[in-house]
Amino acid sequence: MEPNIVFHIGTFPVYEPVFWTWIIMAILAIGSFLLTRNLRKVPQGAQHFLEVGIEWVESLISVDVGPARKIFVPLILMTALYVGTSNLIGVVPGAYSPTADLSTTLTLSLIIYILGHAASIAKQGFRSWLKGFVDPFPLLLPLNIAGEISEFVSHSFRLYGNIFGGGILLGIIYMMAPYIVPVPLLAWFGIFMGIIQTAVFTLLASVYIQTKLI
Amino acid sequence: MLEIAIIVAAIALGSGIALVAGGLVGIGEGYAAGKALEAMARQPEMEGQIRTTMLVGQAVSESGAIYALAVVLLLIFTVMQPLVNRLLELL
Repeated sequence: MEPNIVFHIGTFPVYEPVFWTWIIMAILAIGSFLLTRNLRKVPQGAQHFLEVGIEWVESLISVDVGPARKIFVPLILMTALYVGTSNLIGVVPGAYSPTADLSTTLTLSLIIYILGHAASIAKQGFRSWLKGFVDPFPLLLPLNIAGEISEFVSHSFRLYGNIFGGGILLGIIYMMAPYIVPVPLLAWFGIFMGIIQTAVFTLLASVYIQTKLI
Repeated sequence: MLEIAIIVAAIALGSGIALVAGGLVGIGEGYAAGKALEAMARQPEMEGQIRTTMLVGQAVSESGAIYALAVVLLLIFTVMQPLVNRLLELL
């Protein structure tokens, strides 16, 4: 199940997820530049949406985050924007969502998992973090480790399975009835499920980071 | 050739049985939607929050069926497809 190669730079193959990640980076960079050009103290126009977004992410914080305060809001916003744009770009015919590849979702999940533990160490210190693993009862250590692994695996597999499975179903529908039937199905699987999976991934990312900081 | 055919048949049968997990997840998500409807009928002003929490809960519980789907996709695309190609060459 190797991803397809789009082109080669010299002898270095560029795979599809990498290429479409570059396109998403360009979209987000140009969009951010255009939207933050004339920021005023009294918001006007598009600045309203930006402030609503940032206030929503700040409302997700219900724990004393400690030294990770400065990177929490940008990290969650980066996750939401990247995953949202990546899911929605799959609706365009001919485009490929990078999140339909297990590498992308595993990487995002790994970043959030490691940053959560790093924030926990920065807040509580190394010994207190290690003690957290034997917390209620030292005999529960295997269960705690299994819980950590399952948290990381479930977080990535949920996003991968929804987007990749939706893509496969749509591929089958395209083979059987290519003309008018795919449109409502694309609206459901592509847009609606894409937005819901983005929201769930972001919410779970913030919850996972905060449960390690309590 | 017979061994390859048996393996392909077993993978196809197993994939069908594995996706029964989707039906069980459907029962759970329908139950959650029913409870959400009861809560909305008792307190209509909390409608937006109830709907959001219901959708989040259903998306999280759907991940069980997604694990089954991931295993089935992995089996079909990495194990079954080369074997089917080999079988079609030999025929």
